[in-house]
Amino acid sequence: MAQESNIVIDHGRSKWSDLWKKEDYLAIWLGFAIILVSMIAYFNFGPQADFAQKIGAADQIQAAESSKAPFKTIAWHKAQDDKGKLKASGSAFGKFVGHWTKKPGSWKTNPLDAFVRSEGQAKAMNEKALPKYEKAKAVSDAALSAALTSEQAAAGAGFKDTALNDEAKAKIADWRKAHKASGDAKKKTGNNPYNYIPTLIGLCIFFALIFGLGVKLMGENFTSFVKGFVLVFIVSVLAYMLGGQAVSKQYGMGAEAWGVLLGMIIANTLGTPKWALPACKVEFFIKTGLVLLGAEVLFNKIIAIGVPGIFVAWVVTPIVLVCTYIFGQKVLKMPSKTLNIVISADMSVCGTSAAIATAAACRAKKEELTLSIGLSLVFTAIMMIVMPAVIKAIGMPEVLGGAWMGGTIDATGAVAAAGAFLGEKALYVAATIKMIQNVLIGVTAFCVAMYWTMKVEREAGRNVGAMEIWNRFPKFVLGFLVASILFTLIDSNLGKDMGTAMLNQGVVKGGTSLFRDWFFALSFAAIGLSTNFRELAKYFKGGKPLILYVCGQSFNLVLTLAMAYVMFYLVFPEITAKI
Amino acid sequence: MAKKSLIRRLAAFVFVLGVTFAVIYGLFPWMTHSFDPLTRMSQSLNETGIDPSRYYYTDVEQVRESEQYLRGVLDQ
Repeated sequence: MAQESNIVIDHGRSKWSDLWKKEDYLAIWLGFAIILVSMIAYFNFGPQADFAQKIGAADQIQAAESSKAPFKTIAWHKAQDDKGKLKASGSAFGKFVGHWTKKPGSWKTNPLDAFVRSEGQAKAMNEKALPKYEKAKAVSDAALSAALTSEQAAAGAGFKDTALNDEAKAKIADWRKAHKASGDAKKKTGNNPYNYIPTLIGLCIFFALIFGLGVKLMGENFTSFVKGFVLVFIVSVLAYMLGGQAVSKQYGMGAEAWGVLLGMIIANTLGTPKWALPACKVEFFIKTGLVLLGAEVLFNKIIAIGVPGIFVAWVVTPIVLVCTYIFGQKVLKMPSKTLNIVISADMSVCGTSAAIATAAACRAKKEELTLSIGLSLVFTAIMMIVMPAVIKAIGMPEVLGGAWMGGTIDATGAVAAAGAFLGEKALYVAATIKMIQNVLIGVTAFCVAMYWTMKVEREAGRNVGAMEIWNRFPKFVLGFLVASILFTLIDSNLGKDMGTAMLNQGVVKGGTSLFRDWFFALSFAAIGLSTNFRELAKYFKGGKPLILYVCGQSFNLVLTLAMAYVMFYLVFPEITAKI
Repeated sequence: MAKKSLIRRLAAFVFVLGVTFAVIYGLFPWMTHSFDPLTRMSQSLNETGIDPSRYYYTDVEQVRESEQYLRGVLDQ
């Protein structure tokens, strides 16, 4: 993230050739090419018609059941489960893309397990998991049988006996719990053999070609890029391997953290070879990844838990972000505004993804991004363990605890982990609040880009004209927003179930997010390989970034808890009662 | 960096990488086994299959399940 001139230029410098020569535009074209191919493949050759039929049939069952009983019956839930099984990524295209974009898998003791799993190993894993699944299935079957009996009793009374209805409702809830546990156990019996080495080689060649073409269009040397790219790709692959280790994952250290760490270790001990530096195209990888991330930022998700969710995730978060930034500027006197805003966004919005988007939007330095993500990782690991323990110890209700954790813990995976540790309801609320907050990164990136263009980078005492704004504005943010708006519209038009099956479980999970994940991993490896420890240490001087994070997060904890309590227990207790 | 010999650079690389691995694969598992809340968190993660290192909601299966559950109970 090179920081060029900090002053807004007075004259227009946009040229038509920018469209095929500038990194921002190339990131947009590459991102949209992937989006377009995925959309065409899934919507023209995918299972949409078949899904429409199945969703229609399930909807009919659910409508009939809803009109019959005052609670959600077994048939209603089964129809819902059938809809949940619809995933467009199961189509031929989805399988093809999934196969060729595979990342090294999880492992416990042998790192080679991340790359190769024999048939014998897969069989042994499945056999080990089988008894637990059989036990869980037996419990689920028994719970279903009890639920059926209760529901039949309630139906016998024409669903007019409140006591029988309540009993049936409770038994059905028990069955759903057991059914979920059985489903989780079943997933562990479906291990397959693999060898990712050939596909990783193929993927390296593919990425080298597409990014190499972009680099060539930017006027740089294709061959130099490709040579260096091999090292960047290898570091990314090793980062995926190290991040896939069970303990590493448990503490929230995934491929992104390992990419930076491993790259930095190489750069600061062995020294990054000069021939690898032309491939450290941090911005190009990040911007392309962000355009793809736009496809996952669906604005219609913000109503998932009603008004309380909007207040906790969309009112508190901007307040915390702005206050933390002002605190950093006025009280702490942070020497770097970009570091200040990246830490503020990282801490208040949603960790790594918000940090990446904000850093790119305000053209922060790569060391500043590394530092803020490092802070976020440390505090996420601590909060993920401490918060559920504290909530349990003081006897806070699960819904309140879930909303509190969802609004404050940075990474979504850590939020889900902390929520699941606390309880089922806490998981549901925490994960949903986090999802709503995740959507905020689109708005954050846009506002930060505008603020930087119009205020921060403006020469004192001068007005910024529309043309200047356009010249300075990071164009990839537009690609990111267009992708987000486009996918939001498509998702809304498709309806909830079809949107989930075709977009979330198809175009996104079977296309764009697979590439997005790799592009971010490549960018973090490139950041590590081009980062100097001493440069990084300079940004930490005086511990101001740490103080900023701690103060901002403390404010976030207090405000989120207060807002969650007011919303879920004083203003909308009926919503809480339903959860 | 360029002035140092290859042997010294290699030694530094092995040392730093060794220390990092010792922390992640030595200290962290020890902490997990030694402290009760960490042990229980580890067990919970094993059972649910949640990956705390995933940062965006589309990467976490449990978010979709939570959304579906809430949609069901809130009659959306």
